[in-house]
Amino acid sequence: MIDLIWLIPLLPLVGFLLNGLGRNVLSKPLVGLLGSGVVLASFLLSCGVFAEVYTARQAGEPAVFIQSVFEWIAAGSLEVSLSFLVDPLSAIMLLIVTGIGFLIHVYSIGYMKHDAGFAKFFAFLNLFVFFMLVLVLGSNYAVMFIGWEGVGLCSYLLIGFWFKNKEFASAGKKAFVMNRIGDLSFLIAVFLIFNTFGTLEFTGVFPQAAGMAMGDTTLLLVTLLLFVAATGKSAQIPLFTWLPDAMAGPTPVSALIHAATMVTAGIYMIARSNILFTLSPVTLQIVAAIGICTALLAAAIAITQNDIKKVLAYSTVSQLGYMFLGLGVGAFTGAFFHVITHAFFKALLFLGAGSVIHAMGDEQDMRHMGGLKKHLPITYVTMLVATIAIAGIPPLSGFFSKDEILAHAFSANKLLWVLGFVGALFTAFYMFRLLSLTFFGKFRGTTEQADHLHESPASMTVPLIILAVLSAVGGLLNVPSALGGGQALANFLSPVFADSAAVTGPFHLDHSTEYVLMAVSAVGAIVMAVVAYRQYAVKGTVPKADDAPRGVLAKLSYHKFYVDELYDTLVVRPLNALSVFFYRIVDRAGIDGLVNGLGKRVGESAQGIRLLQNGNVGSYIFMMVIAAVLILAFGVFNG
Amino acid sequence: MSAIITLSLLAILVLYLGLFKARRALLPVSLLGLVATVVLYGVQWGKTAEPLYSGMVLFDHFAVVFSVVCVILTILVLLLSKDYFDKSSPHVAEYYALLLFSLTGAVLVVSFHNLAMLFIGIEIMSVALYILAGIRKKDFASNEAALKYFLMGAYSTGFLLFGIALLYGASGSFDLAAIKEYVVSNPQGISPLFYAGILLLIVSLAFKLGAAPFHFWTPDVYDGSPILITIFMATVVKTAAIAGFLRLFYFCFIPLQDFWVPVLLVMTIITLFVGNLTAIVQQSVKRMLAYSSISHAGYLLFAIVAIGATSANSVLFYVTAYSLSTIIGFGSLILVKRATGSEHFEAFNGLAKKNPYLSLAIAIAMLSLAGIPLTAGFVGKFMMFSGVLADYQVLLVVLAVINAAMGIFYYFRVIVAMYFKPLDRDAIVVSGPYRVVFFLAALITLLLGVYPAWLTGLI
Repeated sequence: MIDLIWLIPLLPLVGFLLNGLGRNVLSKPLVGLLGSGVVLASFLLSCGVFAEVYTARQAGEPAVFIQSVFEWIAAGSLEVSLSFLVDPLSAIMLLIVTGIGFLIHVYSIGYMKHDAGFAKFFAFLNLFVFFMLVLVLGSNYAVMFIGWEGVGLCSYLLIGFWFKNKEFASAGKKAFVMNRIGDLSFLIAVFLIFNTFGTLEFTGVFPQAAGMAMGDTTLLLVTLLLFVAATGKSAQIPLFTWLPDAMAGPTPVSALIHAATMVTAGIYMIARSNILFTLSPVTLQIVAAIGICTALLAAAIAITQNDIKKVLAYSTVSQLGYMFLGLGVGAFTGAFFHVITHAFFKALLFLGAGSVIHAMGDEQDMRHMGGLKKHLPITYVTMLVATIAIAGIPPLSGFFSKDEILAHAFSANKLLWVLGFVGALFTAFYMFRLLSLTFFGKFRGTTEQADHLHESPASMTVPLIILAVLSAVGGLLNVPSALGGGQALANFLSPVFADSAAVTGPFHLDHSTEYVLMAVSAVGAIVMAVVAYRQYAVKGTVPKADDAPRGVLAKLSYHKFYVDELYDTLVVRPLNALSVFFYRIVDRAGIDGLVNGLGKRVGESAQGIRLLQNGNVGSYIFMMVIAAVLILAFGVFNG
Repeated sequence: MSAIITLSLLAILVLYLGLFKARRALLPVSLLGLVATVVLYGVQWGKTAEPLYSGMVLFDHFAVVFSVVCVILTILVLLLSKDYFDKSSPHVAEYYALLLFSLTGAVLVVSFHNLAMLFIGIEIMSVALYILAGIRKKDFASNEAALKYFLMGAYSTGFLLFGIALLYGASGSFDLAAIKEYVVSNPQGISPLFYAGILLLIVSLAFKLGAAPFHFWTPDVYDGSPILITIFMATVVKTAAIAGFLRLFYFCFIPLQDFWVPVLLVMTIITLFVGNLTAIVQQSVKRMLAYSSISHAGYLLFAIVAIGATSANSVLFYVTAYSLSTIIGFGSLILVKRATGSEHFEAFNGLAKKNPYLSLAIAIAMLSLAGIPLTAGFVGKFMMFSGVLADYQVLLVVLAVINAAMGIFYYFRVIVAMYFKPLDRDAIVVSGPYRVVFFLAALITLLLGVYPAWLTGLI
């Protein structure tokens, strides 16, 4: 099986090519079959690969397999090979990407059935899976960067998929620009790593890094750059505003790219480079601080949003914040555990929301929903499971993963735990608010919508059910020892984090303390769930209209703390002004005016030509001479 | 050497064909001759090279590879020329002949072993181009471009000659080996004249390459010349200029690099910013490509700033990637302009719907120019950047990465226009030769992006 690693990313690429080239020829069922078939095949292969990694781990080996496809760039000292690395970390990511990817492909067959760009959509989705697999499998930073860029590109294409709507297209652009900032930082980090270690291979970089001193400045710089890259891709402060806007894309895209896989790439990358971060405690503190701030801010915004997908988007940003908090306090396994469980329940929530939107005839405003429980029973039950899971109520999956992060946070800094706990209360509240507004109470939509209400087809509900089961039992992967669990995931992943563990020493927290922490967060979550339920389901409160007066805090939250406006004032407008300046002064006046060549205005008369000969070329040459004189003068002073 | 003779004879033959009104034979004969040249070079490959004709030219691997690149690029340009020249003038044969003469000059520039040959090569290449830029006699823009190019080119020739004269004055020879000997054997006593000569050569070669602050001619001349000639200038001439630049500096001036590298470093940074910042605000795709070609000249200079054994391969890769994409970019502009009469970004609106394959080729070209992974452009940039980093010019790399990001912005405008701006329009007719050229260029761009090893170990 290990020999077939290269096939795993190749298959979705083939799917992309077939669907892309044959999009006018192939029938919709065939496109759907092809699109999901290739991902299913990849998933099966991934299972096989995982099984081998698992067996190797059981035998006590570190289970690292490298498959070199070919030498990619070889020029002088620069050698980068296109090779794949399978270890416990990437094996799990493989399963998530292909497994959830497959479910979402199947779901899309139903969801996108009536869309004219059906084949194009599947082609892009396949392409995304390909790049995501390249990102996960890359055995060095260069290959990882290919995937990193590629998923960004696909995300851009898919957000802008319904590009006829101008707002949607500009959301795509925003995502693109913010991601570019991160990518830039990644690229500089890659060069710096190459400069420092002389290689980009993980297996070459990490052992060398492990020998470096704690707090090394180069490592500090590298990790900071990598972290900026991660904030872009994983939507953290200050680069998080693109993710809620990205909800303009079709819902399956939100589920796959903006919840389950791509946005966790930043966490994956940091977990992969854990030793670099462990040796740079300053960066880790920044990671933790940014993580917890993002988690709180996004959760606070989610409380007052009325668009069902926006709530989920901010919730995603907030949960990603928890993952960064986990990384920041050294809970690498915990953070990655949360990646896994979050992939299950957030994909489920988005797909459920998609099912609701589908039934409501593309309505996304929760103020027009309500009482959908009896019309969409399967969607309701599955979303209920996901909501309990994300709220952190035991024994569903979210409880275990969040608890592990919070336990580490507690031992690192009590304040981080308190803030994390507050965020968890918010989470429980806004999720049950969403559930109550959508499924309980009276239906508040139009009669037309009421007649149209229906449960989604099986291609959509089956993925929901599978994900619901996973969300429910996913926590069993890593039951803490305090609850008598075997910490299977932690043991499985231990070789990946071995270097870091050697530096930090084993993590220890009294079982009694841990029980208290668990009990507090579980009770808190349940209380908030009940509060939200009473408020929105029993009392039937409906959120205010957009322009209704609000209290200061509610207003802040409702307007997303004015972050977009802030960026607009601080960044976008000055940049526009600069660009106009360049256009008016430098280009028009400077280059076009002073030395205007071609202007039709000038060229149309003989007079113009004469002017042109006397003035324009002359000034060109004048500038050349000045430059030449400057260069010679430099030579005189230098030589 | 036989290659240069073949090229010269070919050009004269083409002129005669024009005299006998054998217009249909022009293109096939030219192509055949060029292919024969490539074959002749292929035969030469691998043999030990000796300076020929009293040390005038040297056909080492460097010269052979860059000559072949120039010839192949010319073949692609000629393929695009079918029907193109007919519309400009009845005297088609001259144009083919002039392109071939210019190519002969370019080949001399990449294979010189004597400064006299460098000068002659540059002049043969340029004089033919002065005429070609003005090929449309009745078009003001074309006339203007020719005149400007000529006046400024003449000026830069002055710098070139003066620089060569100073080098001669100091070292007593035009021969590269002798000059190198002079540099190596006089570590302390190098004449100030020699330093001045180096700086003047930098000025004139930067002019030919279109690097700031000697780039002023590029946007106007690229914009005013017929697009096909622009393609030739932006690809073949640029390739020859950077190769000649590198050949001279790598062979002779490395021991003095502490002196001239700072100059080039500053020029490189200015070039990057001038090219990219002005390309951002352009409304015309042709001007955008013209300004972006300035920024690519900046990336090409990286190889000379970080001069070393790997420079030649980096330049080869970068220039190939850049030229292929440029051919697609300008080539598609010919078609779009024919169909819509406009060179603006809007002219590309909705192209993807009606011409999916053409759009795909353009998209690949733009991605490659922008340096997105899995295209040749990315590998080229990667090689350039890591070459510079190995030389500890971290600042330059950071600035370059920022510039690369700017580049992505304006290249993507073309892609956005094609794919995301819906517009009802008629499909553009893409004739056979264009298809072949676009297909080949796009395919090679992708292949080199995925498997660059084919090209990285040649020199």
